Amino acid sequence: MCGIVGFFDKAGRPGRPLGATLLGMLDALACRGPDSSGIALWGEPADGLVVRVKMGEGEDALARRPAILREAARQGRVGATETQGALLRLVVAKAEPVELGAAIEAIAPDVEVVSIGRRLEIVKQVGAPANLEVEFGISRRRGTHGLGHTRLSTESRVDLSHSQPFWAHGTADLAIVHNGHITNYHRLRRVYEQEGVRFYTENDSEIIGIYLARKLGEGLSLREALEASLRDLDGSFSYLAATADAFGFAKDPFCLKPLIVSESADVVAIANEEIALQAALPEGYQAREAGGRAVAVWEVPDPASRLGARPRRARSRRRAA
Amino acid sequence: MKTVECQGRTVRQINEAIRRLVEDGEPEILVRHPGARHNLAVAVVRDVAITIDGPAGYYAGGMSDGIRLRVRGSAGWGVAECLMSGEVVVEGNAGNGAAASIRGGTVVIRGDAAARAGIAMKGGLLVIGGRAGYMTGFMMQRGTIIICGDAGEALADSMYEGVVFVGGRIAELGNDAVVSDASPGELREIQATLARYGLPGPKAFRKVVSGRKLWNYDKKELDVWKAAF
Repeated sequence: MCGIVGFFDKAGRPGRPLGATLLGMLDALACRGPDSSGIALWGEPADGLVVRVKMGEGEDALARRPAILREAARQGRVGATETQGALLRLVVAKAEPVELGAAIEAIAPDVEVVSIGRRLEIVKQVGAPANLEVEFGISRRRGTHGLGHTRLSTESRVDLSHSQPFWAHGTADLAIVHNGHITNYHRLRRVYEQEGVRFYTENDSEIIGIYLARKLGEGLSLREALEASLRDLDGSFSYLAATADAFGFAKDPFCLKPLIVSESADVVAIANEEIALQAALPEGYQAREAGGRAVAVWEVPDPASRLGARPRRARSRRRAA
Repeated sequence: MKTVECQGRTVRQINEAIRRLVEDGEPEILVRHPGARHNLAVAVVRDVAITIDGPAGYYAGGMSDGIRLRVRGSAGWGVAECLMSGEVVVEGNAGNGAAASIRGGTVVIRGDAAARAGIAMKGGLLVIGGRAGYMTGFMMQRGTIIICGDAGEALADSMYEGVVFVGGRIAELGNDAVVSDASPGELREIQATLARYGLPGPKAFRKVVSGRKLWNYDKKELDVWKAAF
């Protein structure tokens, strides 16, 4: 099944206790899929790019830390660093996201950059949402908007890389969460791979981020990209996508996956099931199931938050050695 | 009236508490703090008035016979699924598959119903106060659906029998669905039904029934079949 949630502050207040809100919503949906869980959160713009790195899969993962910091320092000025669970967090000023990601991932095949953004940070792990608090202290994080995912794996392996949210590798600040199954995944993947795009997983959901990154790179707005996806993606999907500037969702024409939307004057809260909205909204809210082919996008109002955080053009890359 | 508190209880415990009260002959039950949880008040097979005091999750009142259920909020997927007789009223909106496969009774959604409301209905009455989503009345076999607002795409697709009345705009008719005007007698019945539930509805309704071209396979009508599949 999988559970997806999203929350958006219409006033663009970065001080909202979003981590706690998203965690509460995910907890309520944990029964839809307790394999793995994760949260993507857009906070105040950092002094540089915030990078989250999976240091590896083996016992020696922690030993990669010095090499990662060394490679990052070659790409820019490394500020704060912190290790949380399997993820290394570092802030790198004066760096380009594509080059920075490639340099870090060149260290070893099992090193993966989980997210890069001026405002975006992704934390994810194998296990139920409650572990996100234990490992990352997610309830203390604040931000304007965020996404969450709790996974029931049906077709691909259960590990950190295959869990969601998916960052659109190479495009700063763009991430998605998906419930459903993209049935033309293999066909699209073949086309993209021939163009040099690297896939990090066997999870069909990964293609949504790649697809949107390419559309934004072609100059489409998030809304236009979501609308185009109704034509180009096949199968069952309710998915949420966000950048530093905007937050939205798209739903397949046949309404095969649930998505309940509640919008008030102040906030937008979205989830597969209303039980998650109960965890996030005061009593008396209005909720409605989104219809087939529904697309909606809300823009972050503060223009300052957009400076330097526009979606970057996704560049094609060869598979790292 | 007796109260069943949901907080601090599992769904199974809540339903056991409801069932005990029903078996004791309690005529009226209030289910407090439902919190949009699934499977509340399912398989109730007596004439009893149950009020869910807030939003309900999936399958509220499903597989019931004789229940009179009121949901003071919205309902998730499959509300009143397989209802045999009785009445289920949802004061808010409903998710996909409202009143799926009901054999009898009345289901009223005061707000909007999402996709596939009344799918495979085998009898009974479904009233939607607002809009109806994609494929409403899909493969319906008997019974009546009244939609006060607009109807989504593929309305009444591949239905066998039964009738769908639409007060608003029809986005698109489903395969083998045929539209005509409702008769004065039918309109009177619709207005009486809406008045019974205090639903404001339009004056005019259009009537959608099966064209019956899919009832039997006919080689000459191969194109109809190709479209339906």
